[in-house]
Amino acid sequence: MSIFMDLYQGESHIDFVALAKKTLMVSGALIAIGLIALLTRGLDLGIEFEGGVVWEVPANEQISEDEIRSVLGDFGQDPRVQLVTGGSDIWRVRAESSDFDQLEQISVALAEAASVSVNELSRTEVGPSWGDRVTNEARKALIWFFVIIALYISLRFNAKMALAALAAVAHDIVLSTGFYAVFQIEVTPATVIAFLTIMGYSLYDTLVVFDRVKENTLVAEKGRTTYDGMLNVSLNQVVMRSINTSITSTLPVITMLVVGAWIMGASALQEFSIALLVGIVVGTYSSLFVAAPILGQIRNREPDWQRRVELAERGEATGSVAEARASLMASRYTRGTAPRPRKMGKKR
Amino acid sequence: MRRSYIVSLVATVVLTATAVISAAAAGWAPLLGLDLQGGVAVTYEATEVADDETLDQAVEIIRQRVDALGVAEPDITRQGTTIVVELPGVDDAKRALDLVGQTAELRFRPVLQAASASDPQSRFQMQEFANLLNESLANPQTADEAATEDTATEDNTDEDNTGETGTDETGTDESAETTTTTEDTATEDNTDEAGTDETGTDESAETTTTTEDTATEDNTDEADTDETGTGESAETTTTTPETTTTTEFDPTTAPTIEDLITAPDQDDADAYVVLPSSDGLVLYLLQPALLTGEIVDDANASFNNASWLVLVDFTSEGSDAWDQMAALMFEQQIAIALDGVVESAPTINAREFGGRATITGTFTEQEAEDLALVLRFGALPVELEPQTVQTVSATLGDDALRAGVVAGLIGLALVALYMLFYYRLLGLVAISSLAVSTGILWFLIAWLGETRGLALSLSGAVGIILSIGVAVDSNIVYYERIKEEVHRGRSIRSAADGSFAGAFSTIVKADMASLIGAFILFVLTVGAVRGFALYLGVATVIDMVVSYVFMRPLVVLLARKFAADKPGRLGITTVDSAAVEVTS
Repeated sequence: MSIFMDLYQGESHIDFVALAKKTLMVSGALIAIGLIALLTRGLDLGIEFEGGVVWEVPANEQISEDEIRSVLGDFGQDPRVQLVTGGSDIWRVRAESSDFDQLEQISVALAEAASVSVNELSRTEVGPSWGDRVTNEARKALIWFFVIIALYISLRFNAKMALAALAAVAHDIVLSTGFYAVFQIEVTPATVIAFLTIMGYSLYDTLVVFDRVKENTLVAEKGRTTYDGMLNVSLNQVVMRSINTSITSTLPVITMLVVGAWIMGASALQEFSIALLVGIVVGTYSSLFVAAPILGQIRNREPDWQRRVELAERGEATGSVAEARASLMASRYTRGTAPRPRKMGKKR
Repeated sequence: MRRSYIVSLVATVVLTATAVISAAAAGWAPLLGLDLQGGVAVTYEATEVADDETLDQAVEIIRQRVDALGVAEPDITRQGTTIVVELPGVDDAKRALDLVGQTAELRFRPVLQAASASDPQSRFQMQEFANLLNESLANPQTADEAATEDTATEDNTDEDNTGETGTDETGTDESAETTTTTEDTATEDNTDEAGTDETGTDESAETTTTTEDTATEDNTDEADTDETGTGESAETTTTTPETTTTTEFDPTTAPTIEDLITAPDQDDADAYVVLPSSDGLVLYLLQPALLTGEIVDDANASFNNASWLVLVDFTSEGSDAWDQMAALMFEQQIAIALDGVVESAPTINAREFGGRATITGTFTEQEAEDLALVLRFGALPVELEPQTVQTVSATLGDDALRAGVVAGLIGLALVALYMLFYYRLLGLVAISSLAVSTGILWFLIAWLGETRGLALSLSGAVGIILSIGVAVDSNIVYYERIKEEVHRGRSIRSAADGSFAGAFSTIVKADMASLIGAFILFVLTVGAVRGFALYLGVATVIDMVVSYVFMRPLVVLLARKFAADKPGRLGITTVDSAAVEVTS
């Protein structure tokens, strides 16, 4: 049987917990690189956080980067000019904030230089104190998010799962932030929204996985399998769901990126879709390879489960995926929930 | 059981279809955010601590101003202490901003002197005069002299502006209401005398009043003679030999316009200020304010005798105060100043107005309407400072929208294909669930847009795109669970029935986390993030409901129909069929 058939049948025997030990090292390394970049280079914050003004000028033959620089130079500005490519290219011109009249004049001058009407230019202007406020707001929202979600998971699941799930969310956020620091991609409100989406998705995905783990834990407590074994069975049971969901979730995002941003040239969509794409992939990965193993690490320290590990070492309990599955099935059916034989069902 | 499933299924479809069709029939359509259709967005923050009531009042005033601008579907919301003004479809950003952003108090200030902004000598004269006034403020003894100067210069102004301004109508009342600044009293005396005598002399120690008189008189005398700013200023110096000014005019050291104009933070109601006219061509030296915009009840532009004019109605208290001022300032100019700009400086040509004044002049329709707006909604209860100003070109917004819609549809089509390929008939259920969810969502967006003026922005659209993934996931969670149960040996029919409880519990637990996150974001943030949170939350709730009332019955009914003979159609392989594949 191919691995795909196994997956399709829900009969795969992937040892996720063992795999995770390797992948966690990769994650750790990536996080370390991200953190170093964050500390040394910092984030490239957009005007919404630092104040300033951004023009979006249609990029046509009439106007070049040098011309844009000279137009703003006349007003004593040293802009940062960036070409955003897509179906219709756009010059993104970022400069220091100034008084309204001067900005109006610059708009007019830029429009003239590009031989377009002023109305075809987009302009965003942000006051210097706004950024602090937005940052504070985000920080506050983030703290509340973690506190309330931790409470929620503790109530609906348990505190250890809350810890593991939030660790996975933190993993995703740190990884994504590091990505932005390493590649010096500008952080805009769109980025923030994308990050929030990543958090939301990662958490959602982790909870779907944990719901299965929780269910299986009840069964496993009566059996002879180790916690890691039970985790592996659970993850194998949900892995196809995870794959399918990440495929169906990324499909719209990929089309948004390919069709919307690259073919049709809506640059606004590009910012969102790149971050979302990275986020969904990382979020799915972290549910299986970060949240679950961390949960395993925590629970393995509990005396009951620790004893199972010791028993497994002596061969009296089971840690392998296949055996754990068999053990779980057995325990499950002894709980009186055994389904009717399939053939009977067919006849019905 | 079966019957209730059918009822639930039919009811869901019928209700959704009815909602969508009736919304479409009523002409409801989703209200598109600024980033999707172009326009101007401004985020304001109060400069001082303000309570909810004050801010709501400010929102109301801004709303009135914006409505008066004729913006279709403006979105003005208060989010905490922030006021977000979104004007979709507006391309004249400056005009909109000017009108919305005028946050300072509307003040009526007597004009002491007017000067052409482009003429260095006039500017020089005005500065001399202003310096003198400031000195006199610091040292009350020189006040008389300063006032005298005033008068001389004032003539000028009158003349300059008579073309534009005029007023009139009658009224009564000498109320006890006074505007209390010292200046006022000075002027008041004046008027008394103005009514009676003409000579306007007096060099008495009496008070500033007398001097003011002189001012008025001079005015009239001179009015006939000179017209230009320069002429006037020259005159001023000659007519006021008593002044302490000794500096000679030197074109090289003449103050620039910027030097002369009072800085915004110095523009206090009880100070002498120099402010430019709205077109920037004339500078006015102004006395402390006598009245504020509170006296204005209503103001409207009106077309009469082939010209545009502005009709101003005063409140009952305002009417008395105005008449009192009119009596004092008869035949003098009163500047209507807002936000550091003189919007208009009409000459008072009646002593009693009876609660209504007319401002005439060479207005264009636009000018008259803008002036009326300023008069009507001049004062906000709190000063607001723009924090972010965003202008999105309609072209760019349109691009984003079109690209988003096309990409969204293609993305949905791909998801549909994948689900069909993987889950066969169950994939069709997923697509139908998605269609129902989309219908409900469309209805809600249209409804929010229509009744609440809530627009769908790009960030909201991203929230919805994310929710597509979550909605499809609800299906996947359920189907995978059915497959698992079947694989363990359960019949498809019983698995379809029995798996739902577990699957739905998973869906609800995970969706609740999304909802909590969305709620926190919605409460704690402002602007784009809020839109994202709103639509993510709405879509998540829809997902839970549709899973229960639509997906479940459809799957169960399909399972009953096809499970026995054709399980493959449900994308479910039983153990046997898999085994066959392996052995073959």
